[in-house]
Amino acid sequence: MIQSYLTVSILLFCIGIVGVISRRNVFTVFMSIELMLNAANLAFVTFSRLHETMDGHVLALIVMAVAAAEAALALAVVILLHKHKGQLDTNVFSLLKG
Amino acid sequence: MFADGLFILFTVIAVTGAAGLVLFKHPMNGAMSFIVTLIAMAGLYALLSAKLIFAIQLIVYAGAIMSLILFIIMFLNIQEEDLPVEEGRFKYLIGGAIIVAPIGLFLTRVIKSFPGAEKTITVEGFGGIKEVGLILFREWLLPFEIVSILLLVSLVGAVVLAGKRRMVK
Repeated sequence: MIQSYLTVSILLFCIGIVGVISRRNVFTVFMSIELMLNAANLAFVTFSRLHETMDGHVLALIVMAVAAAEAALALAVVILLHKHKGQLDTNVFSLLKG
Repeated sequence: MFADGLFILFTVIAVTGAAGLVLFKHPMNGAMSFIVTLIAMAGLYALLSAKLIFAIQLIVYAGAIMSLILFIIMFLNIQEEDLPVEEGRFKYLIGGAIIVAPIGLFLTRVIKSFPGAEKTITVEGFGGIKEVGLILFREWLLPFEIVSILLLVSLVGAVVLAGKRRMVK
């Protein structure tokens, strides 16, 4: 039971990594990161069920709050970059590199 | 078993939605597909008897965050010609899958060694609002306060970044 839930979590996390490293649309990359956060949440809740403590639920709540903060900031940056460049390609946004 | 059938159903829906998110060209289709994934994951949380996380996944994640993303996608009014050209998209996807596959297989081997709690009935009120809230405000109070500061900082940052009026050009 626990193993199958963790397998789902690993599968979703791997799909998220593939989305991040192989797509160039900035929205798809962003939602793939959200998918990876969700896979981590599923692993937290599964381990919480295994040990019958609720600390994993609290961690999942905190991860959701961090995801909300990340969504607000990342979308603001995307709006700003779209205003400047008029494109959604992550290769065009490489002006952020150091 | 009824729960096993529900688990397989939610798993298939979640993985299909995630694959759709990676495969669709237009981000609007990808976002819709991702919402399906999020709702199926809420079902998985309910099967793990995490009632509060189930509700918050539906309300905050599938409701608030995804509607924010959809709002921004519609706000930017993306046409087909605005999208980046990705001719070798499937080639890159297959390459990425080949790179990630060893990590996934390794993690699958790791979780085989875990002990499995086989269908034990959980304690009374496991995952309810009162119990999780007690743990949140007793043992996790400092992380909770730090998260509130993080939300404030991101709020101010989003206003400063997106709502800037250009005085000097």
